[in-house]
Amino acid sequence: MNSTGYRPFELLAEPPAEVRAGLLQARPVTFGQYSPVPSTSLAGHDLPAHAACFGNRWPLDEPAAERLLHDLDRSYLTGRGGGHFPVSVKAQSALRAGPGGVLVANGSESEPASAKDHALLWLRPHLVLDGLAAMAELIEATDAVLWLHEGDPDLLDVLTRALAERRRAGLDRIVPQLALAPQHYLSGESSAIVRSLAGGPTLPAFTRVPASSSGVHGRPTLVHNVETLARIALIQRYGSAAPDSTLYTVIAEGNRQVVEADQRWTVAELIGSVTGRSAGYQAVLVGGYGGRWMRWSAVAGVGASHAAMAAHGINSGAGVLLPIRSDECGLWQASQIASYLAESSARQCGPCLFGLRAVADILDELVEGAARERDLSRLQRYRAEIAGRGACRHPDGALGMVASAMDVFADDVDEHLRLGSCRRMRSGGLPGLA
Amino acid sequence: MKARRGEAPADRLLIDPTNCDGIGMCSHLAPDLVTVDSWGYPILVQRILERGELRSARRAVAGCPRKALFIAAE
Repeated sequence: MNSTGYRPFELLAEPPAEVRAGLLQARPVTFGQYSPVPSTSLAGHDLPAHAACFGNRWPLDEPAAERLLHDLDRSYLTGRGGGHFPVSVKAQSALRAGPGGVLVANGSESEPASAKDHALLWLRPHLVLDGLAAMAELIEATDAVLWLHEGDPDLLDVLTRALAERRRAGLDRIVPQLALAPQHYLSGESSAIVRSLAGGPTLPAFTRVPASSSGVHGRPTLVHNVETLARIALIQRYGSAAPDSTLYTVIAEGNRQVVEADQRWTVAELIGSVTGRSAGYQAVLVGGYGGRWMRWSAVAGVGASHAAMAAHGINSGAGVLLPIRSDECGLWQASQIASYLAESSARQCGPCLFGLRAVADILDELVEGAARERDLSRLQRYRAEIAGRGACRHPDGALGMVASAMDVFADDVDEHLRLGSCRRMRSGGLPGLA
Repeated sequence: MKARRGEAPADRLLIDPTNCDGIGMCSHLAPDLVTVDSWGYPILVQRILERGELRSARRAVAGCPRKALFIAAE
């Protein structure tokens, strides 16, 4: 034991009970009224607590690097920022591009509906930083960056302290640098991060070559979501048998709650664990604001893991679940979100800048009872025109949300067209929305 | 990759949408390859260009004031 109370690594043959219960020991983390400071019975980990819970990580020598690559492949780990791209494929691509790259831990969580990365960084900062270190060593990167939102001083304090602890303990071969993203929706988009780290504006870029082979100043650059990195840290310790779980953000009743889903739960049980009721809903927005509305009957009984959802053709995205009660107007929620997404355009690509606004305006007219049949055909045309024409996926995400709302709330659409209103409740604000 | 005469045609007309300001030169110079959307921004043909189309594609590329268009094999 050294002066920091940090214990040298002990090989843990199997995950201790605490770890088997997952990243957050299956305990909920509440962000009451969308506060940035979580309340939970769970204690945050400083370095000694981290080592006591998970054991210390060890530097990757060559056999360990090969084993990690193999285990990443076998565990089917995919990116938890929402893209769900296989981690092992991304790593292979960076390895082919050669050493000297840049590895970014993306903790900016610019999806305003999501809070799971925030909760994870707040409570398990060292697990994320262990994953960053492991990945940096694996791809022989020479720079490691922790990318966070500015305007979140409490979280910044937590991470600054964690980084200082690691420096004192001499833990990281490549010392991670903190970088702060401006507070806007697309500042966590990976091409925007790459552009910003190269000295440009923090805006999405039009790219034809993946950053994993040529990113920041032509160097291979990997951007990993922080939950992905925490899972990599567990996989380095326990191989492909590492405990797997899924972090969800459930938004209901004016609160956000981060829940680590027990793999045996269904989506209804997961939502019920937060709201106290697992019936009386008509639909759920799955993934994030740029996600998809699903009918309650289509999603309630599905297993609450990324894999189970994917097997049902549902993209769980960044793990956001926003249930809508049967007495609420889903179309109104969709129009609020569409408007927010239109405002969140990086204002670079015409189809996104003008098109999303036009789409949101039609939705707005529809909920206010001012739309006619011909406006719906206009909406169809706009959707076809905009699809696939942005530099990033923002417009496509927004269009998918709108299209699924028109489908799932088809009865509401009909009532709003014929009667001007569906007489359902318009529920209060959502995170990021006024 | 620049398209040259006699080369197997695998070239496409592409755009960096972050550079395009919707000025519309391309749709005038290559109306067979470029239409415009409801806001005046170009929609390009989504296929490999035929040999006979390369000339007008090059005209559109050269005429773009924002240098947003290019021809490349994808």
